[in-house]
Amino acid sequence: MTRRGWILLAAWCGLLALGVAWVQQRLTVSADLRMFLPSPRTEQQRLLVQNVGESPASRLLLIALSGDQPAQLAQISKKLAASLASHREFELVANGEQSPLAVPEELLPYRYLITDSFDGAPLDETRLASALAERAEDMASPAAAFIEELLQRDPTLELLHLAERWQPRFEPHRIDDTWFTSDGSRALLVVETHAAAFDPEGQTHALEALHAEFERARGESTARLMVSGSGYFSSIIKNRTQNEAAWFGTAATGGLILLMWIAYRHFGFTLLGALPLASGALAGLAAVSALFASVHGITLAFGFTLIGVAQDYPLHLFSHLHPGLTPLETARQVWRPLATGVASTCVAYLAFLMSGVTGLAQLACLTVTGLVVAGLTTRFLLPHIVPEITRDPAGSPLLARLNARIQRLPRPYLLLAVIPAAAVAVFLLRPEGFWQNDLSRLTPVPPELLRADAELRREMATPDLRYLLVASAASEDAVLAVLEKLDPALERAARDGAVGAWDHAARYLPTVAVQRRRQAALPEAAALRAMLERVVADLPFEPALFDPFVEDMARARALPPITRENLSQTPLALRVASELFPRDGRWYGLVSLYEVHDPKIIADIARTQAGVTFLDLKTASQELVAAQRTHILVCLEVAALLLVMVIWLALRRWSRVLRVLAPMVLTTLVILAVLRAAGVSLNLFHLVSLVLAAGLGLDYALFFEHASDDPAEQRRTLHALLVCSLSTLLVFALLALSTVPVLQAIGVTVSLGVISNFALALLLTRERAPA
Amino acid sequence: MSTGFVEYRFSHLLKRPLYVGGILEYRADGVLVRKVEWPYQELTEVTGDQVHITRTGKPPRTVSLQRVPQLRVLLDSFRALLEGKLQPLSADFDIALEDAAAGWKLTLTPKGAQLRKHLAHIDVFGAGDHPSCLEAVEHDGDAALTLFGPAPASLAQAPLPGRAELESRCRLPAASAAAGQ
Repeated sequence: MTRRGWILLAAWCGLLALGVAWVQQRLTVSADLRMFLPSPRTEQQRLLVQNVGESPASRLLLIALSGDQPAQLAQISKKLAASLASHREFELVANGEQSPLAVPEELLPYRYLITDSFDGAPLDETRLASALAERAEDMASPAAAFIEELLQRDPTLELLHLAERWQPRFEPHRIDDTWFTSDGSRALLVVETHAAAFDPEGQTHALEALHAEFERARGESTARLMVSGSGYFSSIIKNRTQNEAAWFGTAATGGLILLMWIAYRHFGFTLLGALPLASGALAGLAAVSALFASVHGITLAFGFTLIGVAQDYPLHLFSHLHPGLTPLETARQVWRPLATGVASTCVAYLAFLMSGVTGLAQLACLTVTGLVVAGLTTRFLLPHIVPEITRDPAGSPLLARLNARIQRLPRPYLLLAVIPAAAVAVFLLRPEGFWQNDLSRLTPVPPELLRADAELRREMATPDLRYLLVASAASEDAVLAVLEKLDPALERAARDGAVGAWDHAARYLPTVAVQRRRQAALPEAAALRAMLERVVADLPFEPALFDPFVEDMARARALPPITRENLSQTPLALRVASELFPRDGRWYGLVSLYEVHDPKIIADIARTQAGVTFLDLKTASQELVAAQRTHILVCLEVAALLLVMVIWLALRRWSRVLRVLAPMVLTTLVILAVLRAAGVSLNLFHLVSLVLAAGLGLDYALFFEHASDDPAEQRRTLHALLVCSLSTLLVFALLALSTVPVLQAIGVTVSLGVISNFALALLLTRERAPA
Repeated sequence: MSTGFVEYRFSHLLKRPLYVGGILEYRADGVLVRKVEWPYQELTEVTGDQVHITRTGKPPRTVSLQRVPQLRVLLDSFRALLEGKLQPLSADFDIALEDAAAGWKLTLTPKGAQLRKHLAHIDVFGAGDHPSCLEAVEHDGDAALTLFGPAPASLAQAPLPGRAELESRCRLPAASAAAGQ
């Protein structure tokens, strides 16, 4: 290498180092999966997307303790709950111990502002008399011991009334006052983490704290801890992906170095070959971190996978080097097919830029920048620092024999008809589930974890996961007012059997107006005392017994209305926080529905009331995914057209264009048919992989097509494409071994694509040597 | 299996003791029925996990036993007594039996902290295979005393006996058992 070459290499490496430093400072990696959700178009879809990841409910971790006697598990559950409650990683802990009656002393008088008991008729002497007479009977009933606790303070049993009203429709089974699964084998707890569900770092900290506290609470017991929930998933995916990325990276690097050594027998090539890829990756990273506030982890993982194609660019240069031609001249020679490949692949990725999905737009930006930079550096920088060689890497006799043998292979043009026919047959035979419309299937969470999660949720008696009413308004109180107005219609629907039960924040937290009205209707202390005197005359109670009742009532008359803030230290906080929350300057109130028998009636209720939306999560998400896919498919069709135009501009003859496109089109059909035959429903990640495979196929075909009649040139092209496809296959076959479903899907799809594309390009695109 | 009963309740919250009479029935399907016939009508049915209390002219009330664990244990023990099986009781109580010629006395002392908060002990008096009286005593001296056997027809007219007298009546199983037959 010349002195100029060394200086250039040093400058290049320096620039890369600067780039690394800049990117490190700029880049914010996010784990918010919503970046990969399509942009919502309807109010329903907007609520749906909001609901994913940010709602307090998504910060809940479900915990199951198993592996010991129920009594022991209950003990551990209590200890664990006590220690977690005071831990800074957790907002709230519930294990069944705290009944809704366990409210702080100072909030107890609020029961008279929250209860609806006196809405119809105020608490007058008649009502008081009948309530106290009933209490006298209660005192002689089996429930006496229980009533005694409440009698003095709460003779009308408002706390009981509220507890009954608030009681979850299906509360988990209890053993020793703690929640259990119905078979009694597992104790259940729910905790809310401080960290958001899509904050894997925070979730990992919370989980570590949880495990440490569990170890402490467990003591000598054989009990085991099981955790589930969105937060747990994001933590586990991050750790799993990181672990796999580590060994996968090592294996791929080792394999590639070995492959490069076998192909070129020159260690310098291995190092130099990494430069365009590194430059492309860095440039891509710099571009996304400059254009977007934060970059999704999946974009990065995905983007680097896609940019991996650029590893092929220097290989084309290297394989075509031979004595008698300078590297720069070689670069000029391979530039035409290379540039066509880069340009057409980039055009395809530009389709993702228009997809309306932030994650995909980032992906497109990263990949296009990366590929362009890698292509340009291969053409304009790399040739200056590549050592001139004395030996033709493609000159081996083995390769010559292989080339000759391939030349003699028949050209199976029949495949042009057979593959499409076979693919159509497969599509017709397995028409069901072509597309994956289930948004939840987009998650990289392994299915066995999802199953365990669903089981726990069933035991925790969570409400209907599909239907939801959402109220929104400008303030907390305005949302509560909307919710209050919903009640009569919902009561009617419940009477008609359309819905079993419902729950919303206004049941715990009436509007200020309602609280004021109730307050005004409460009797004054003196009047209440006088009523009590008269009422107890015929009953076995002394009037002074009810002094605590009179005091609570007096306090209730003077209280400022209760708000969401006041509830923060009560067992109700968990429920209210998940049902009433502000977002983007607006307040939202969720109405959970239980046992929805007639969704149409519920939808009608939403239609007739301003500020209320009926949310069918399943349909909304399916529509969302379907709409997104339609959009992406349109983008891809446009991209395909552009791609054909780019190729036509480069080749200028339709026969050549067709020969170049055939392997790519057929391979796409082959992949689709194989996936279909295996019963795989296609999702977004498959689409991305298909585009990647198509890009590879295009490159292979362009180079095979470009190879002239010169047998040496043909050998060099074969050599380059063998190295390229083997290295790509190596990387993606490793990816296919991943336990993360998304990575596995990509790995399988692209591996299939590489094999099929290479074989088809070899057989269909290469011109038969003149006999 | 059914028996008449009179239950007296002494509580510091009451001006005077309360007492009710009626029929206790343990049905073959496992439902425990407590039917108050005097001084008012009240029907309590314990089915599995639920207590349904119905009074004339009032909507029935249902209390989940999960919400009132102490009541659950009391009812379980009651049921166990009626079935004559002490085994299920030993999970929740320490059991002591005093056997004498005239009759026997069973003392149940709760084990769990939650139950101990409300209940000091339950004494059951009886003779042969018949319990005749059950006295549940709380720590503050409040007590519920249930005499089994047909309710005296004169319950309404008779002046309410003093607590001491009722307790001594309760502790004479042989006599009350004889009176009941």
